[in-house]
Amino acid sequence: MGATFVVTLREAFEAALILGIVYSYLEKVGARDGFRYVTRGGLLGLLASVGMGVGVGYLSGPLLDLGPDLVTVTVIFAAVALLTWHAWWMQQHARLIKGQMQHRIDEARAGNRLWVVGLIAFTAVFREGAETVLFLWGIVAQAGGGGWGSVVGGVAGVACAAVIGWIIFRGGQSLSLPVFFSVTTVFIMLLAAGLFSSGVARLGGMGILPVSEPLWSTSWLLSDKSLVGGFLSGLVGYRSEPTLPEVIAYVGYVVVVGCLLFARRTPTRVPLASPTRS
Amino acid sequence: MKRVATRSCLTLVAALALMAGLVGSAGAADPEHKLVIEKNRFDTDVIKVKAGAPFVLVITNKDKGPEEFDMPNPRIEKVIPAGKTVRVKIPALKAGKYPFVGEYHAETAKATIVAE
Repeated sequence: MGATFVVTLREAFEAALILGIVYSYLEKVGARDGFRYVTRGGLLGLLASVGMGVGVGYLSGPLLDLGPDLVTVTVIFAAVALLTWHAWWMQQHARLIKGQMQHRIDEARAGNRLWVVGLIAFTAVFREGAETVLFLWGIVAQAGGGGWGSVVGGVAGVACAAVIGWIIFRGGQSLSLPVFFSVTTVFIMLLAAGLFSSGVARLGGMGILPVSEPLWSTSWLLSDKSLVGGFLSGLVGYRSEPTLPEVIAYVGYVVVVGCLLFARRTPTRVPLASPTRS
Repeated sequence: MKRVATRSCLTLVAALALMAGLVGSAGAADPEHKLVIEKNRFDTDVIKVKAGAPFVLVITNKDKGPEEFDMPNPRIEKVIPAGKTVRVKIPALKAGKYPFVGEYHAETAKATIVAE
């Protein structure tokens, strides 16, 4: 029971984290009507996960050999792009005062751009969703032998992740707006860096990028398959045995996107109204 | 915004098509190694392969539930649905040991690829 609990909690944690952040972001900027995009996106992600989980059983031959890999890699890189865009958007908002921000949100609403948060929710759920569905399905299929405890553990893991998402949502509401924006921008950036590096690692496994040995190993300290390691992996992309391409991808992403997000402070600062003496 | 989105989608599709071509084109002549999953275990503990040459793992899942082949380095994760056979292409490995697990039953489904 414990083992399945850890697996599903680890798989669902990242989705819960992203959903928690996106919901509280909308709440913060006074765009509660955007909730429905997130909810629909998340539900569609769930449907797609079930669809893929079931569908994969009907595939065979090269389609089964390659199809799921291509879908996974696409979803990973799409998620990286969307999260980067979201972080950039939040960072823009962070510099605005309240009235201006309301204006921007209204603009986004009018330009129908809030659906992007729905897309973020979709990729967040779908990315690990299909795997979680298959895993749960597997333990249900074998429940006769493995015992229903495993099934309960698996479901409890997903439920626990959902509770964590809810706590993030509630916690986000108690933070002040500037603090919330800076904290979540950094979080999303690190999360996206971790995703990006895992996408690059996948390309290595598919033979598209060169394979290399792990640069170091911190498995003795904290395996990324353990509960805490899994949390850190979802949160900031922790790897206990990273390879060179993974490290380059991670550091490269943080440097490039970090500069884009945080280095342009000075030029966009609103000049203080200087008292004129004429 | 929309145009940018469309364009990036197209680029992505093109890149994926290219990748599919790259991945698909190789492998016809690569040596194959068979691996069977039964009762949440692999049928062997060690698979010996030639270092420096790509190969194909032909994994058959004889169980009632799906299993996920999970190798941390190089990072390969592959779901093998119940009763199915999946061909997993493994890139050329340097001499060494490469452990992998069946992620859905990681306590029992463990084995190692040894490249020599």
